[in-house]
Amino acid sequence: MSSSYAEKSVWVQFFGLIAILGSYFLVAGMMISGGVTSLITFVPLFIVSTIALVIILAGGQIIMAIVGRSEAPDERYRLISWRAHSNSSWVLAAATSGGITGLVFSFEPVWIAHLLLLSMFLSELAKLAFQIFYYRTGV
Amino acid sequence: MAPTQVRNRIRELRFHQNEMTQQELADRIGVTRQTVNAIEAGKYSPSLEVAFRIARIFGVPLEDAFQYGADADAVSGLL
Repeated sequence: MSSSYAEKSVWVQFFGLIAILGSYFLVAGMMISGGVTSLITFVPLFIVSTIALVIILAGGQIIMAIVGRSEAPDERYRLISWRAHSNSSWVLAAATSGGITGLVFSFEPVWIAHLLLLSMFLSELAKLAFQIFYYRTGV
Repeated sequence: MAPTQVRNRIRELRFHQNEMTQQELADRIGVTRQTVNAIEAGKYSPSLEVAFRIARIFGVPLEDAFQYGADADAVSGLL
């Protein structure tokens, strides 16, 4: 079974997120382990990563629209999106609880900020992975 | 993922409609070709609305196009 436009779009987002945000966390991790604790120091890196992410995702969608046949989302696409979103939301909820716990124990803001950012990243990755799974196996 | 309990005769009905393609059917019922493929393969149960549209396109009652669980065996035994 060949993949639909929507599924290809999910794959583009999946690898785009891994490449860009994975790079961000790699660099940020090295900075934190190097002793950088000021949050403002990470802002330029975050801005560059966000711009790169937008360029890659938008570029990927444009290339797909040129090469393939663009299709409007249908009911199966929407059901898969809802289920994937529902299944992945616990990642964000768990990390938010972790962030609150960090605040209680007065962790450095740089740790809490990155924990929350990482949870958003992992939650989005989990959502995309669930979408791919449902596209492949059925829903 | 367990396959759906809803079974269908879409492949056979397409054959009797001059081998209508999945894409043609998809365009007429307003879904993607992959969704038609998933319905035929039993990987997705369509909404009632899409099921009715499919039955109407083939000019058959809904229960002729779709069967549920044990009913499917009874219907296929009659055909």
